[in-house]
Amino acid sequence: MKLTRFLLPALLALFTVTNPARAGEELNLFGWSEYIPQGVLDGFTKETGIKVNFETYASNEELLSKLVAGGGSYDLIQPSDYTAEVMIRQKLLSPLDLAQLPNLKNLAPEFRHLDHDPDGRYTVPYMSGTVGIVVNTERVKTPIKGYRDVFTPAFKDRIVVLADPRELVTWAMFTEKLPINHVTPESLARVRPVVAEWVKLIKVFDSDSPKTALLNGDVDVGVVWSGEAAILWNENRKFQYILPAEGVPQFVDVLAIPATAQNKAAAHQLINYLLRPDVSRQISAAFPYTNPNAEARKLLTPEQLANPASYPPGHPKLTTFHDIGKAAADIDRLVTDLKSAR
Amino acid sequence: MATMVHLRGVTKRFGTFDAVRDVSLEVGAGEFLTLLGPSGCGKTTLLRLMAGFEAPTVGTVEIGGQDVTRLPPYRRPVNQVFQSYALFPHLTVAENVGFGLRMQRVAAAEGQARVREALALVSLDGLDARRPHQLSGGQRQRVALARALVCRPKVLLLDEPLSALDAKLRRAMQLELKRLQRQLGITFVFVTHDQEEALTMSDRIAIVHEGRIEQLGTAHEIYHRPATRFAADFVGQANLLEARVLLQDEAQVRVSVTGGLELTVPRAAWPAGAMKALIAMRPEKVHVSRLANPAAAPAAAATNLFEARIEEEIFQGATDQLVIVTATGTRLSVVVANESAYGEIFHAGDHVSCALHADDLVVVPAE
Amino acid sequence: MKSAPDRRTPRWRAWLLLTPMIAWLVLFVVAPTAILLVYSFCERDEVGRVVFTFSLENYRRVFDPIYLRIFARSVGYAGLTTVICILAGYPVAYCIGRAREEWRHRLLLLLMVPCWTSFLIRTYAWITILKEEGLLNGLIRLVAPTATGFDLMYTPTAVVIGLVYAYLPFMILPIYGSVEKLDGALIEAAHDLGAGPLRVFSSVIIPLTLPGIAAGTLLVFVPAVGMFAITDLMGGARVPLIGNVIQNQFLVARDWPFGAALGAVFMGLFALTYWILLRLGAREEDPA
Repeated sequence: MKLTRFLLPALLALFTVTNPARAGEELNLFGWSEYIPQGVLDGFTKETGIKVNFETYASNEELLSKLVAGGGSYDLIQPSDYTAEVMIRQKLLSPLDLAQLPNLKNLAPEFRHLDHDPDGRYTVPYMSGTVGIVVNTERVKTPIKGYRDVFTPAFKDRIVVLADPRELVTWAMFTEKLPINHVTPESLARVRPVVAEWVKLIKVFDSDSPKTALLNGDVDVGVVWSGEAAILWNENRKFQYILPAEGVPQFVDVLAIPATAQNKAAAHQLINYLLRPDVSRQISAAFPYTNPNAEARKLLTPEQLANPASYPPGHPKLTTFHDIGKAAADIDRLVTDLKSAR
Repeated sequence: MATMVHLRGVTKRFGTFDAVRDVSLEVGAGEFLTLLGPSGCGKTTLLRLMAGFEAPTVGTVEIGGQDVTRLPPYRRPVNQVFQSYALFPHLTVAENVGFGLRMQRVAAAEGQARVREALALVSLDGLDARRPHQLSGGQRQRVALARALVCRPKVLLLDEPLSALDAKLRRAMQLELKRLQRQLGITFVFVTHDQEEALTMSDRIAIVHEGRIEQLGTAHEIYHRPATRFAADFVGQANLLEARVLLQDEAQVRVSVTGGLELTVPRAAWPAGAMKALIAMRPEKVHVSRLANPAAAPAAAATNLFEARIEEEIFQGATDQLVIVTATGTRLSVVVANESAYGEIFHAGDHVSCALHADDLVVVPAE
Repeated sequence: MKSAPDRRTPRWRAWLLLTPMIAWLVLFVVAPTAILLVYSFCERDEVGRVVFTFSLENYRRVFDPIYLRIFARSVGYAGLTTVICILAGYPVAYCIGRAREEWRHRLLLLLMVPCWTSFLIRTYAWITILKEEGLLNGLIRLVAPTATGFDLMYTPTAVVIGLVYAYLPFMILPIYGSVEKLDGALIEAAHDLGAGPLRVFSSVIIPLTLPGIAAGTLLVFVPAVGMFAITDLMGGARVPLIGNVIQNQFLVARDWPFGAALGAVFMGLFALTYWILLRLGAREEDPA
């Protein structure tokens, strides 16, 4: 009796995630952890009656491997731009029916035609962000403008960076004025000594929560996601966000429908819902990245808009990543080698 | 005889329990002394006090004239044979026997020779390379013995070393231990609860009861002249009878015992002035013969003669145990040699005549 | 033989009883290992899909000096962790094992209680202690306001502290098991034969508890070699260990075949360690 009371819901849950037969009323969403407020999804269910089964991942690689390995059937996913680019090329995404997405008009024009999907046929921007420098201004008094100011012996063992080999190598390429999306053995050989120097200075590599080391006082500067920087700024104004002078990596996370989706209609409905200004505003409140939704931005408080990590002043030059194929393995090997040489 | 082990006023208290109460004991050099008593009587604690595993709460322990009261076991000139043998399972027979020598840093060559010698002494030649688990119980026992003897202790302590062996092997080992002790001239302190073992091997026996030494004496003294009711009861079999004085003169005391039988006891054996005492009658001291065969009547010197009826007969191999009841109703257990091939045969229901020498009666003062 | 059908029945039942265990083994041990081995000979395509061709390339890459160096360092960290666990765990295990019966279970319970909390939470607790503005330095500054304190967080020392903390119970428990089995009479016998406390320890107690030490070493060393969460959280992922490299292949570099090859070689090392320790144990342990 007791057993069935526990087992039955568990079995049902399993059934509903994997069985597409009930797709009329359910939607399987596969998104980033810490990126979509549960309240937003609840609101969607309340309005449409469509139940959202929400699974999360922590990296584009996890998304890709789950999707191509066929582990689950998803109706809506949330890849980053350069991953979406590969997925489009590999025909893993289903073209969107733009007629079902009237709220597309709310997007700012600069987010309408991005490099990875020039016609906007496959993807809809969800949130955007940058990678930049966070400085604890109570500890650091010298002016910081770019990567070269961060990676100096003065900050030895006072630096946190993203544990992402591609990012690290890209920053070095910016300082060497190399094209970041054209990775060749020659360009890697050029940046190798730069990265080697940097690795010796870094104290922490952390992609999941680089803010922790900064908050704990274990480091004074960091090169981190703008969202992390925005949270730090909200926490304490001593954490200043600076866009590196040599070049700023920008990422746009998009919504897309996999080619294998069972409930494309519901997926379109959810995309359109997420594009609504009042809904998008809730997302910005919870996760202060750069909101590409121009109408939603109008609803934000002046304080939210003043967060330099979310909305950097001026019009900085941003660069997006493109897929570099197997060169990613070379970057991984390079960074592993330099790290283990310490 | 020089004193080898000397306990003076030793008390050992565990919490509120006195395991040993004010015991003083001297063991002579080259003596085989047995501590005999039931389990829990304190005999093992006495041994552990000598070995150094326990320190006395009160009193001192001397070994070979040296006060060792505060010395740890590894600084005492004694070695012990453990009840469980306590052989090191990770070492071979030779390594086990050589362990003590290694600890004493005896030179390797000498050590090897002594190990060989010790193994030969206990007839274990050729088993050096075996592990303890590859040996029989008797062999393990010998290894334990060799391991202790090879150290040439002043005193060898043996804690019920034979209790795990079967009856036949035990008897053989008793004789062997006795032989070894005579041959080596080492002082043995032997702990057992088996009175037969104690009687067979010991020069002297100490009866231990409730933390005290109840009686100390030779096997003969202990058996024939038990000093207390406990000693009489624990060592050998005895009919214990409450005795009350009926008549007395210079030479004899006439008493009535439990059940109404009247017996004569030598005046010298009776506690002076006492009206009551306890009489211990060994079953084999009662001479039984058939009424129908007066020619087989016992020696005339026997002072106590009475008749009885056999109630029960228990065959015990070499002997027959008979339960007899006298005319007045005194019930006694007696033992007769089983000579069935050519002698008398007793059956339940037979009427017999009994003779008992007055000097064979043991009088224990009433408590 | 007449009794043959009678004998077959229990055998059939025995197999039936074993079925869940066999199914478990096949499903969660044999099958994943087989998949790992198959993958290790494959290649990857652009998005990281496994392409089923036969290639030794992944194994060639495993023996690249980079990974060998990382491997050696992982073994070094795990070895240091194991040694510290033995040194710190043995006295604890010995005291619990020789404690009075009614105390033993309470002490063991104390050992287990922290394990009821998630491992990650306990690791974060260590971060709270070791971080620069953390409990340890706070305490030091309370006692000596001028002291600079320790800069422990994100250092190899922090990694070893984390590893020792995580694996100490796995060292203590098997040693406790063999200490508890240790016959007190053997210790007395050794004392009696002239061995002082140190000699008793080295000649009797250590050899007789060696099976426990061997089992503990296995339980600590093998997982410590492959640990990646602690190096990430407490070491700042600065110095990659083999566990991080493997994790990276699966979750970041999208190179499952190479990760599988690393894993397969790693498993080979485990099997070898296990085999060696088993041999040592068989030699030391008394089967009686």
